[in-house]
Amino acid sequence: MIRSLLAWLASRVMSPRTLRNLKAEFRRSTLPKIGLVVLVIVLVTAVFAPFLAPHPPKDQDLENSTQPPLGFSSKSVEEVEVQDNGSVVFDDEGNILTENQTVYENASLSHPMGTDANGRDLLSRVIYGSRTSMLVGILGTLLAAVVGVSVGLTAGYFGDRVDDVLMRAADIMLAFPSLVLAIALVGVFQNSDIHTYDLPDPFVWAATHDTIPNVLIPRATHVAQMPETTTFPVTVTLVVALVNWVWFARVARGEALSLRSEEFVKAAKAVGAKDRNIIFRHILPNAITPIIVLGTIQVAAIILLESALSFLGFSGTSLSWGFDINAGQEFLSSAWWISTMPGLAIVVTVIALNLLGDWLRDALDPDIGGEGGV
Amino acid sequence: MADSVLEVRNLTTRFFTEDGQINAVEAVDFTVDEGEVFGIVGESGSGKSVTALSLIDLVESPGEVVDGQIRYRNADLVEAVGDDHPEAVDGEFVDLMQLPSRIRRSLRGPSFATIFQDPMSSLNPSVTVGKQIAEAVEVQRRATANPRATRSRTQGFGLGKFIVSSVAPGESYVSEQSMERAVELLDLVGIPDPEERAREHPHQFSGGMLQRAMIAQALAGEPDVLIADEPTTALDVTIQAQITDLLRELQEERGMTILLITHNLGVIARMCDQVGVMYAGEIVERGSLTDVFDEPVHPYTKGLLGSIPDVGGAKSRLEPIEGNVPSLRDEEMGDRCYFADRCPKAMDDCVAEHPAERPADPGTADHAVRCVLADTEYDESKALDSAEPDGEEVTDE
Amino acid sequence: MSLARFLVKRSLQGVFVIWGVVTVVFALRFIAPGSPENVLLPPDVDEETRRQVAAELGLNEPIHIQYLDYIAALLRGDMGNSLVTRTPVADRVFSTVPATIELAVAATVVAVVIAIPLGVVSATRRNQPADYGATLFSLLGISTPNFWLGLMLILFVAVPFDVFPTSTRPVGLLEVGERTLAGNLDGAAAGLENWLLHITLPAIALGTYFTALITRLTRSGMLEELGTDYVRAARAKGLPETLVRYSHALRNTLIPIITVVGLQLGTLIGGAVITEAVFDWPGLGTLVIDSINARDWPIVQGSLIVIATGFVLLNIVVDALYTYVNPQVSFD
Repeated sequence: MIRSLLAWLASRVMSPRTLRNLKAEFRRSTLPKIGLVVLVIVLVTAVFAPFLAPHPPKDQDLENSTQPPLGFSSKSVEEVEVQDNGSVVFDDEGNILTENQTVYENASLSHPMGTDANGRDLLSRVIYGSRTSMLVGILGTLLAAVVGVSVGLTAGYFGDRVDDVLMRAADIMLAFPSLVLAIALVGVFQNSDIHTYDLPDPFVWAATHDTIPNVLIPRATHVAQMPETTTFPVTVTLVVALVNWVWFARVARGEALSLRSEEFVKAAKAVGAKDRNIIFRHILPNAITPIIVLGTIQVAAIILLESALSFLGFSGTSLSWGFDINAGQEFLSSAWWISTMPGLAIVVTVIALNLLGDWLRDALDPDIGGEGGV
Repeated sequence: MADSVLEVRNLTTRFFTEDGQINAVEAVDFTVDEGEVFGIVGESGSGKSVTALSLIDLVESPGEVVDGQIRYRNADLVEAVGDDHPEAVDGEFVDLMQLPSRIRRSLRGPSFATIFQDPMSSLNPSVTVGKQIAEAVEVQRRATANPRATRSRTQGFGLGKFIVSSVAPGESYVSEQSMERAVELLDLVGIPDPEERAREHPHQFSGGMLQRAMIAQALAGEPDVLIADEPTTALDVTIQAQITDLLRELQEERGMTILLITHNLGVIARMCDQVGVMYAGEIVERGSLTDVFDEPVHPYTKGLLGSIPDVGGAKSRLEPIEGNVPSLRDEEMGDRCYFADRCPKAMDDCVAEHPAERPADPGTADHAVRCVLADTEYDESKALDSAEPDGEEVTDE
Repeated sequence: MSLARFLVKRSLQGVFVIWGVVTVVFALRFIAPGSPENVLLPPDVDEETRRQVAAELGLNEPIHIQYLDYIAALLRGDMGNSLVTRTPVADRVFSTVPATIELAVAATVVAVVIAIPLGVVSATRRNQPADYGATLFSLLGISTPNFWLGLMLILFVAVPFDVFPTSTRPVGLLEVGERTLAGNLDGAAAGLENWLLHITLPAIALGTYFTALITRLTRSGMLEELGTDYVRAARAKGLPETLVRYSHALRNTLIPIITVVGLQLGTLIGGAVITEAVFDWPGLGTLVIDSINARDWPIVQGSLIVIATGFVLLNIVVDALYTYVNPQVSFD
């Protein structure tokens, strides 16, 4: 069903030949298929997080803290009081005698990825973390694309002064390395009210209210325990879009510049079509292919950017892959999984996006060079 | 009668692609005599360029030369490879197909020089023209000075030497003498201000100038055979004449042997001594210029000649050849004459079996045709039924 | 147009951009919630003192006056004082810049030295194991967050092998230079060794993305160049394969890579900021992050201006280099 939706979307914006190239290329190589499958898995995980997470991600369980993941066990040495038939032993100086005892922590099935320092289940945190990454990644890219393409098409189509002004603004944006600017902006706004927004989780809401009978919701009692809202990092999304729109603007501008001297545009103008119509009906569909390629790469870049911002503590939500990587830093040697697992999740997601992006680029337009930056 | 310098026998080159096997060149035979100009003429897709590339071992995968002999007469080469590769030597000739690729590579430049169709894309845009010609000069110089090294796997200049050359200016491949010689060669082909021009990049040259520069580069190797693949096709008509004249001039002065590949019959007529007509990967007719142009036997040759606008003559209509070039895919080629579908004189025999090469007239060894019409008269009664694609007979109403 | 005129023209453009940067940075402070004087003062201080401090900091003047003052001060090289340490911002910022430059340059060197040969090998041995390995490596490299990679390096290399230090501060290269000049060659050598050990892991963490990117570009560029007519013609004239590949194909491959590298320098600088956080490297990035958390805006502003200015200059250099190297493009 998703496939046919995508197919319909694609057919509206691309020429049939391009579409055919796409399909042929996709069928031929296995890598994009893997990428697509992985990406779908990540998306499904993000959407249906309350159903898939084994535990509520914020629930602390201090007794089971820093449990290793399945297949591993950790041991640590603890000082324990020496006991003699249940009572404490004293040494010569009157101090309680202690000895070093190795304590084994074993993995348990209920925490397949282990737990963090507060006993929170890591797998659930990773699952919920995908929500943050997907939200920021997709919405941030969409926002950057909308703004960037609008600016770029306008600049390229009208040219001259408009182009100059807009591109100067872009130059100033580009003078800041994106991550640095993002850090500064988010840092500045991190205490403001719009830093985050709590989005209600429809599944949890449905499970905790009686409007939809619980019979229709799988694992309803389980879902009811999940967090009721998802923290959406507004500032981060806005900043990320602000930092990345320029890449879209450049591509769109290039396309508009080269297309505006094409015959069909001149013809449309001669007939008296309004500029706005020309841009949307004629130029945009022809320019869309490099924009789509760029978009895929940008989602990957934005996910990396968001994780970097969370890592530095700027994102405002604790359910983020970057956040957990940071949290695990102090336990790096003792509880390595806390930092490693979320990182692997990032790597897998970004690889999938890159595979898709490569496929799109090879199939749609082998001439596109360069990559959008983080 | 000059001795032959190049004898090609049964050359077969195929491309093994994902979509199937393509028979680009099939059983091509021809002989080029020393000092003469041999022209190969045909439409695009006839296999003429692939033939040229096959001679110098530049057919790139998925293509492969699968069969044939390329007999090259060169006393020095006979001596050089005679001990290690006696099976390749036959009297004064060496069969290049039986030599390892590193030796074949060493022949490019000093033995076989090539000029290609589009000079602008055949030269590195980031390197000066002079330097590129100087490289060709250097190839020849090193080949004469140290032939063994040139025939080695790294051709006398491996990665180590390259790394050294990029850091030590004195060790670069190209020397000052080569650069000077490059300027001389530019002068030779008629480029004004050769010293200035040598320091410029290809995009600063016009098409005609650049083709002259390519000729200069080819001459740098002092080759036995110059292979010219569509040398005038990318040029304006007036420039075409200039280049053709230049080539002829150089050929007369130096007695150079030229293998000229083109689809332009006018160029053939102006320059060639012998002609081979290629169609669908085969040579369908070959002979001297007069034989082929004045007394063509193969209907395709006749068609080609008939389709030239004759400015001076009284022809009223152009007679184009009907239909399209056939597929070269192995599964679609049958055991038949490949021209039969377009041939106005096709007969039943033509689709019964693939025609072998035979003399155009009994007794003439040099004019050969791949057509039954050489032996038999055209018989209307045996004509192929026309225009019913599935072979149904035209029924009488 | 010659190189000189090109540089002048681009410098003027650069000045305009830097002015824009300064304005944006200046405006940033006014959008930031929370006033600067509150950073310095405990919350229970009375209004009078608060106003005094604000006046001290020049915060009561109208905005355009503050703006002009700010620009005037910048031109004098004065970026104000840190709200936290009360020392000049310029001193603190510039004292950390060398460390960041060291890291960035080291990462770039690592990237270029590894990526270009890797890309060439990948292209010339297409679809063979070496190619698959290189392609896999580059895919991983562009998909891995550098801070996480840094942590993994610490976890799997630094901790088990105990060769690379993780907690001490490194000796800077300037320091090494000073020691050499002072004749203290032993100290210089020790300092250099210390520096090398400290910079290896961070440079690898930072440089991996770049390495992967350049490998991919080199590979695809080489494949494209090796299929061109001029390469075929170069082979046809008998040129040794080594020269065909490296003197011709590779040269043309590297030219557009310069542009891409230039575009990605921003990523590199940004990445340096994060890498510094992971490895506790005493550079500008650490300063920025600490200052943001401490709400020490003058330092944040000063750092941003310095970073942006450096970046603008770097881009001019990259553009000039590209134009110089590519004969088809001239300096206009």
